[in-house]
Amino acid sequence: MKPLAELTSHCIRCGFCLEACPTFTETASELESPRGRIYLVRSADEGKIQWEDVRPHLDRCLGCRACETACPSGVEYGAILEIARDRLNRLRPNLARKFLLKTTTTPVLLRFNLAAGRLLGSKVPEPFSRMISGQSPEANQPKAQSMGNFSPLTGEDLPDVRGEIYLLEGCAMRVLYPRVHQATRRLLRRIGFTVREVPQGCCGAMHAHNGELADARGKARALVAAMPGDLPIIVNSAGCGSTMKEYESLIGPEGEAFAARVTDLSEFLLAYGLKERLTDAPGLREPLTYHDACHLAHGQKIRSQPRELIRAIPNVDYRELGEADTCCGSAGIYNLTQPALARQLIERKYRHIQATGAALVATGNPGCHAWIAQAAAEHGQTVRVLHTAELLEMAFDAAPFTA
Amino acid sequence: MRTRFGPQGADYAEKFARIVGAEGVLSGPAAERAYDCDAYSVDRSSPALVLLPRSTNEVREIVAACLESNIPYTARGAGTGLSGGALPALGGLVISTKKLTQILEIDLANRAMRAQCGVTNKKLSDAVRQDGLHFAPDPSSQTVSTLGGNIGENAGGPHTLKYGVTAPHVLGVTMVTPEAEVLELGGKVAGLAGSELIGLIVGSEGTLGIVTEAWVRLTVVPTHVETALIAFPSVRQATETVSEIIAGGIIPCALELIDHGILGALRAAFNLQYPEGTQAMLLVECDNGGQGVAGTTADEVRSDIRRISELCERNGAIHVRVAKDEAERAKLWEARKKGVGAMGRLAPSVVTHDGVIPRSRLPEMLDFVYAVAAKHNVGVANIFHAGDGNLHPCFYFDDRDPQQVERVVGAGEAVIRKCIELGGSVSGEHGIGVEKLDLMALMFTEDDLALQQRAKTVFNRGELCNPCKVLPNQKSCVEHRKRWRGVAW
Repeated sequence: MKPLAELTSHCIRCGFCLEACPTFTETASELESPRGRIYLVRSADEGKIQWEDVRPHLDRCLGCRACETACPSGVEYGAILEIARDRLNRLRPNLARKFLLKTTTTPVLLRFNLAAGRLLGSKVPEPFSRMISGQSPEANQPKAQSMGNFSPLTGEDLPDVRGEIYLLEGCAMRVLYPRVHQATRRLLRRIGFTVREVPQGCCGAMHAHNGELADARGKARALVAAMPGDLPIIVNSAGCGSTMKEYESLIGPEGEAFAARVTDLSEFLLAYGLKERLTDAPGLREPLTYHDACHLAHGQKIRSQPRELIRAIPNVDYRELGEADTCCGSAGIYNLTQPALARQLIERKYRHIQATGAALVATGNPGCHAWIAQAAAEHGQTVRVLHTAELLEMAFDAAPFTA
Repeated sequence: MRTRFGPQGADYAEKFARIVGAEGVLSGPAAERAYDCDAYSVDRSSPALVLLPRSTNEVREIVAACLESNIPYTARGAGTGLSGGALPALGGLVISTKKLTQILEIDLANRAMRAQCGVTNKKLSDAVRQDGLHFAPDPSSQTVSTLGGNIGENAGGPHTLKYGVTAPHVLGVTMVTPEAEVLELGGKVAGLAGSELIGLIVGSEGTLGIVTEAWVRLTVVPTHVETALIAFPSVRQATETVSEIIAGGIIPCALELIDHGILGALRAAFNLQYPEGTQAMLLVECDNGGQGVAGTTADEVRSDIRRISELCERNGAIHVRVAKDEAERAKLWEARKKGVGAMGRLAPSVVTHDGVIPRSRLPEMLDFVYAVAAKHNVGVANIFHAGDGNLHPCFYFDDRDPQQVERVVGAGEAVIRKCIELGGSVSGEHGIGVEKLDLMALMFTEDDLALQQRAKTVFNRGELCNPCKVLPNQKSCVEHRKRWRGVAW
């Protein structure tokens, strides 16, 4: 990774990032803006202020990287944030957050949590929230999705298998969203690809985003070793894909070739002809919309591909979402570490969703999925949230999604 | 070294929290740092506190408290200013308008809108775009810069050439005077009481009080627009073409020049395409808005842009590209408007100068700018409003090196001296702030400056409201200035 002095020197303070930053527009404070945070990090790095003075403002950053999209100078804000957080973690480790990361990204612990959590009610318990954030909880306890009851894919129109890919199962994804993986596998098969199954762990994205860079590097190296060769690596979780595409910066040259193989599901489906396959699908009639996960839109610059696929659904009533690429406030573990701001952002997001009149919202990241689904439930469940893969599979075969 | 004048922040935080709420008070080393400059980073000075008021009345209460306790204060919008206008020169308070972001009233029939001053320029236009209207001033920072800041600086922008700067588009203001009174000047309808004073307020850089709300004029969006990007093999051919276009009787709505110094950064940032060997580009736009300046029918607009293109080709242009649709036009304008922001690709810091000259002198002026940059050993790029002779030489450098800061200040001064020598002005649209205090005497005699000082005194008798700006040699400012310049790094 480049040094902070180099990374922060590219900000010339033009301020074009300000209105793109959800925490700036919510708080009106320069301290909660990208320009302000970069300036503070640079100042701390140069010894002009104390790192502790910077901490609360980096804690309040979503890491959504909308500022990178807005920045004409190409400032790598995501990298600045990760390195600066790593620095802060080494100065004073945040044990509660470390614990949270560990339990979220270790499937066996997460499963245990889910079971234990059911005994404690729907919200994250108050004492736990206080310890993590100093505030009352807003996020519900994670709940695992049930598996979909899909019939096997057969039929004459199913193309021959033309290749194999690796699929990132992810740490939280495999526990919380098994049906998303089912839908993913089916869509891949519909365009002639099957998944080469390998034992694999967590990609380290959550650790990197939260500045636990040593942990992130360990997990990244293990994942690189788990997926050898040159098969494409398909990822259906925006945060993971974004970090995996940046493995070179994280772990050096050994990450370079791997990173080049990483492809978001929507990119792959579009490139290999799902749009054409969709023309024969029954399609969908409910009005629907699409929420850009930050690590797709800003982290990976993937905006048009999911939309193009969704708009190819027969009979689709697609409605563009206002502020579609503004963070919903989930942001990894942000809705646990900053509940109040996360709540403001999800309400803002949900207002836009309601304004579209959509019955279905698609998105490409588990964090957004759970957080928007919670808001939908709180607002009377008039809107259903689906992963983009689920929505597309539903266009072929709606039954498993209506049960 | 921290520069703090007036009260120690902590003593007063509680007092002001009673006005703006605890969340509206920012204090401590991080706040002092983050608000110590705007987009002009050569001069820096820390506030003791930053306040985020939610209403005109809260601003009034803050100013009253400042009067009572003798605390200097400086208003700040988005902090995108390029002359240090939001610098809290004597410490004290920064009063941010970023919580005043409501559009209060839209009157389509009278083509007027009332908004709080923290609303961004672009949001004003977005709010009435579906009605075929907009707020015409379009500074390049318009996606982030605020109405209040635009009023303070009398902001311009590329379309100033045809539609004028901010002043003629402001119908009324609500402001808090330095005596802590709420003053209404003008209003929805032109010619209301006080409207003749608005011209004094607009462009006063926040030194006559804090504007909190304004009535702005809404202008019809042109229904036909043609935009061309024209590449030249030398800067001189481009600058010579600029005066020929206007002399030829066509006033485009925008006529911008972009030179080789920044083209590479624009390609990297916005995928701006240009042929090999391009040294300068003109971005020219004609429309059928306004009254009788350019063509009024689509055909006439097309004919205007064709005549301009032909003239450019006669003058040696190597490529002419007319935007084929609105999307392409928007992309060209994004590259132009956010262009200066891309200069972080070249160096850690940029100072964007703002002199004005008669446009007929552009060729020799640009030669001079390059010579000055070479002499002072600083990098330079030009991206500016060529049509109205408003230069923006952008000197780029490393602000961590005090010698480079000095050289940049020296180069800027040489450029401004030349502007005045050519019969031009010290500033077109970025304001004087603290950046050009020393240069005011180049343009104005002592008598002129004394008169301006007296005009200021009508509104602002004390030394608390945005001190040390615009007028040089203000009491208690001279000695403090030494602390601002280049000291932060």
